[in-house]
Amino acid sequence: MNPFPRRGLLAAAAVSPFAALAACQVQGGADAAESDFPKRAVDFMVPFDPGGSGDLISRAIAKAAEEPLGQSLAVTNKPGANGAVGLKELLAGKADGYSIALAVKSLFAITPLAVDDPEAVIIDDLRIITTLTNEAYVLVVHADSPYQTLEDLLAADSVNYATTGVGTGSQLSAQLLFTGAGIDATDVPFDGGASAVTALLGQEVDAVSASLAETMPQVEAGELRPIAVFSEERSPFLQDVPTAVEAGFDVVVDQRRFIVAPADVPDETAGVLSLAFEEAREGAEYGQFLQDNYMDRWEVDNLEAKTHLSEAAAEYAALVEDAGLQLGDGA
Amino acid sequence: MSDAEAPQEEGADEPRAGGRAQAVVAGALPIALGAFAAWLAFGLKLGSLTDPGPGLWPLVVAALLVACGVAIVVVALSAKVFEAAPANRTESFTRGTGAVLAAAAALAVYASLFEVVGFELPTLLLLFAWLRFLGRESWLTSAAVAVSATAVAYALFILGLGVPLPHIIAF
Amino acid sequence: MDFSTVLSGFAVAFEPQNLLFCLIGVTVGMLIGVLPGLGPAATIAILLPITYTLEPTAAVIMLAGIFYGAQYGGTITSVLLRMPGEASTVVTALDGHALARKGEAGPALGVAAIASFIGGTASILLLTFIAPALAGAALAFGPAEYTVLALIGIFLVGTLGSGSLWKSAAAAALGLLIATVGLDPLLGTPRFTFGTDQLADGIDFTIVAMGLFGVGEILYNLEHRDRPQPAVPSFGRAVPSRLHWLRSRMAILRGSVTGFVLGILPGGGATMSSLVSYAVEKRVAKEPSRFGKGAIEGVAGPESANNAAATSSFIPLLTLGIPANATMAVLFGALMLQGITPGPGLMSEHPDVFWGVVNSMYVGNLLLLALSIPLIGVFVRMLKVRPGILAPLTVVITMLGAYSIRNNAFDMLLMIGLGLLGYGMCKLGFEPGPFVLAFVLGSLLEASFRRSMRLFGGDLTEFVQRPVSGTLVAVLVLTVVVVPVLRTVRARQTERTAVD
Repeated sequence: MNPFPRRGLLAAAAVSPFAALAACQVQGGADAAESDFPKRAVDFMVPFDPGGSGDLISRAIAKAAEEPLGQSLAVTNKPGANGAVGLKELLAGKADGYSIALAVKSLFAITPLAVDDPEAVIIDDLRIITTLTNEAYVLVVHADSPYQTLEDLLAADSVNYATTGVGTGSQLSAQLLFTGAGIDATDVPFDGGASAVTALLGQEVDAVSASLAETMPQVEAGELRPIAVFSEERSPFLQDVPTAVEAGFDVVVDQRRFIVAPADVPDETAGVLSLAFEEAREGAEYGQFLQDNYMDRWEVDNLEAKTHLSEAAAEYAALVEDAGLQLGDGA
Repeated sequence: MSDAEAPQEEGADEPRAGGRAQAVVAGALPIALGAFAAWLAFGLKLGSLTDPGPGLWPLVVAALLVACGVAIVVVALSAKVFEAAPANRTESFTRGTGAVLAAAAALAVYASLFEVVGFELPTLLLLFAWLRFLGRESWLTSAAVAVSATAVAYALFILGLGVPLPHIIAF
Repeated sequence: MDFSTVLSGFAVAFEPQNLLFCLIGVTVGMLIGVLPGLGPAATIAILLPITYTLEPTAAVIMLAGIFYGAQYGGTITSVLLRMPGEASTVVTALDGHALARKGEAGPALGVAAIASFIGGTASILLLTFIAPALAGAALAFGPAEYTVLALIGIFLVGTLGSGSLWKSAAAAALGLLIATVGLDPLLGTPRFTFGTDQLADGIDFTIVAMGLFGVGEILYNLEHRDRPQPAVPSFGRAVPSRLHWLRSRMAILRGSVTGFVLGILPGGGATMSSLVSYAVEKRVAKEPSRFGKGAIEGVAGPESANNAAATSSFIPLLTLGIPANATMAVLFGALMLQGITPGPGLMSEHPDVFWGVVNSMYVGNLLLLALSIPLIGVFVRMLKVRPGILAPLTVVITMLGAYSIRNNAFDMLLMIGLGLLGYGMCKLGFEPGPFVLAFVLGSLLEASFRRSMRLFGGDLTEFVQRPVSGTLVAVLVLTVVVVPVLRTVRARQTERTAVD
């Protein structure tokens, strides 16, 4: 049936080029102390397209972490299936700390609600090295829209809203809100944030739920009006905009990014990496990057992070179940 | 191909027009492919024209493919002057087809080795094998071109453009 | 409009540092354009860290140069090796490569370079004077308009073929089918993915184009390697002859305008522009039968169109903050990293950046023309290399390019499979052109149609009721139904008079 032997490919990919390199380098003792880590460049895989938010933040943190780590971080993009392609490859590789990757919350908490994949990567396969950002979703309408507030919009007879794609936080947040409000709303998934925002600018739809980074330039230019944020507390970038929770809808959806390694990476190695990234997060340039890209910090220890991710997955699943939603068509 | 206009000499490896059977195959393949795709599309939800499911568009396209295939078969079987119909133009397969399949297999091996042992060695071997056996260059030329081309590719992609190809030689 | 800011933009563009980065940008762009598979989007992303330390204007001038420089470079492989690296150069490969086979690679590339230069420059001029007024056009195109536009495009694909109509249609249908591989755009249902998430995001266009055209061509030639190669006649001059020029100049003019207008539309604009330009040239030509066999207008028109479109695709980014394609999305990120927000405020808040970048494109296009003309001679000599040596070198570069798109070996296997398909299609008399272009337009058509249906609540009449999509429907009906019917009628009449 399957013309492409994926298992074989993954097994092939398992031996990373750097592992081969290590095999060639015959230097030092046979098994030098673990504390030597890192002896060479660390491969930092970004399982997303170049130029997107995930790519930009990875490059920013990688640059900041090189000095504290004492080695360079080689950023490689390996996009596909909201990060699943890259993370599966990470898991097939060696757990020696020389391969790490960026991961996002939506892959573990939202994608499973839309896409049925029996071989999906689960969070227990991974060890969280460090947590990075928390990016809120915001509901925006056109500046010329008659809807001034969330109440106005929810009083409408019917609403067409754009989302940035199937199985995204954008879709989940908007669906939960509109179903909760019990109004007749049609979900129109677009191909990414830019095309969803374009549709709203052209007034093809009444509203869009998208991340701050995707909407803030237009908000600041006065073209779009934010009417609700889907975070627990108000966003520091939009102090005047109420949360959906304030309006009486228990919808909290955000995107969080963090760095992972395979679960069985040695503790000491993981510790070295974690320390380097923690120091990198304090850098001024990285701070400025977050500010410019409307990203909030999410800096917790890996136990708390793991708890958050599994709780979010369970919570979203329950919410979707209660509301009788169908994100995709598959699951 | 545009070579068709070249003066026709009955050389051993001149592209020869395929016969009626091959013209029928040229229509039968789209029919088979379209039918297979349609069968898979039926497994998805179809919906309606105004509320299409995931399977509707693939089904429409598959049906189009089948229709075109049927038309090609009909033309192949019914044309009074077989050569006159442009749809009947095909080119018969020759002994050279073996070389084509060998080349594709070599490339597949190359692709599977690539991430395992880095790009240098497979590239060197692929170039050498292709130059020597498919291109029938001399041993010396093959070796020289293979080595220098691999070095240039390394310099260009890895050192020059920073493309993250898997490699074992590091500076 | 305040022209002092435009003029001060020239001062910015001519600062020695900015000139230098413009030169670096267009040279890198041309290089990656020549290397199939390496796209400007990935290259810009790789070079982003270098730009952190640069001044914003210099950074964007360099990155923009990479983008439009790649358009020049892409033409060279399309003409010489029949290996289009971008959707917008697929049609260039059709007649460009046919010319190369006739020994007219030099003039073809010469005309392409000049057409690119004129298209690009005309587009900058138009951008300078009417960009703000036209910015809104991008927003007038919603899902309904894209549906009709893609439909027009797919019918135009039908005019590309030089052989059997049925076989062109079959190839196009297969392209449409391959375009459905991946997750359903509205529902996320996996379609034809055979259980692997390597195919979840569909197949990359570059893999399809390089497989069907480039690898397919190499495999095809391999079968006949014993046949004495039709000696490529004299290499001719790089400078086009008077006849080439006469045939091309109106095509260049029409192509520039078509490219500028369609390039403003985010998503599919550049591809559509080269396609429309080719179709128009074939329609107005005295002998349409020359097309596909080496008509210089088939190179000149689409080349000026795709370069004009490349330039005007900056308009949505710079005036609305909407990235029109993958490269613009990376540029968007680059601007954000520099603390500059692309969007409606850009022109007033950072006039030096806006006009500095826009005006640097004049310089960049001039540099590209100056780089291209002497390089043509070098590249054309490539054809003198024995096929036994040229083929493996091309194959390796193609494979490395295929890998670099997603850093994924799976894509190389996919490309080999598509190469075999391209070879088989060749042997059975199918042309790859309709396949590849239908592939590009297929996803646009399906997703836009289904979005429209959701927006309209399933009401098909909305397509004709909306002013822009209604006009496009009229254009579609006119070109697809009315014109062919009239032609047939006229042809019958001429036949009758001939018989009488």
